[in-house]
Amino acid sequence: MVKVERSTVINAPIDRVWAVLRDFNGHDSWHPIVAESRIEDSRTGDMIGAVRRFRLRDGAELREQLLSLSDRDHAFSYCLYETPIPLLNYVAHVRLKPVTDRDRTFWRWWSSFLTPPGRERELERMVGEDVYSAGIAAVRKLVEQR
Amino acid sequence: MAKVYESSVINAPADRVWAQVRDFNGLPHWHPRIVQSRIEQDQASDKVGCVRNFRLDGGATIREKLLALSDYEYACTYSILQSPMGVENYVATLKLAPITDGNRCFAEWTAEFDCAPQDAAALVEDIGTNVFQAGFEALKRRFGG
Repeated sequence: MVKVERSTVINAPIDRVWAVLRDFNGHDSWHPIVAESRIEDSRTGDMIGAVRRFRLRDGAELREQLLSLSDRDHAFSYCLYETPIPLLNYVAHVRLKPVTDRDRTFWRWWSSFLTPPGRERELERMVGEDVYSAGIAAVRKLVEQR
Repeated sequence: MAKVYESSVINAPADRVWAQVRDFNGLPHWHPRIVQSRIEQDQASDKVGCVRNFRLDGGATIREKLLALSDYEYACTYSILQSPMGVENYVATLKLAPITDGNRCFAEWTAEFDCAPQDAAALVEDIGTNVFQAGFEALKRRFGG
């Protein structure tokens, strides 16, 4: 089992960060590797069980299902259904927490998955850097005041 | 049920901050309001169920019981057995989380308790500011920022 975790502090109030992240169908508007996102079967991005279909900038397609969404905890989790990359039993979690002494936001993004032996480090790095760190950097640019 | 939540960012890795705060008998070493502490019945301070008996700078004595301690989660949960504060069913948790993009960690301190309704707002303010936030400020000073 490979475990990936990235976390940071965003210099913006939690509500502003959550407004961006909570839209399960909106990641194409901020994530640099996602070209297009749509939700299958005329569901909406806040319906638990909804499946989003991503087309990545490199042309790859993948499908992910929303497993949980909590406005109370500022958290959601999702799993990966179909992907050209061998990430098996992939379940990911996003959770925000307020940093109350400066009105900032702690953001944790983590997952675990199985993968063929020998590819653990490569895929840990790919998920951690290309997906999580790159996504965090993009949201930071969007919500932090300049 | 009244609730308190305070959180902060400490400029040191979670391991280092945890080494400071995990000692249930160690409050006088880092918290500015606590002057003296001992564990009752000569028990070890990481023995779940042990009771710390400590004195505040104003002279009040408080007894708290260790309910849970997790080196894996960097978390410590305890209840108040006896205090002059006028709270019942008080349970608090101090928890750290690593921040992977720098040598710092996220710290949160929460509490839930029952009290007379007219006292709730003042108690939440007092505990949040003078206990939890004051503790964070001391840790920030100790770990440089």
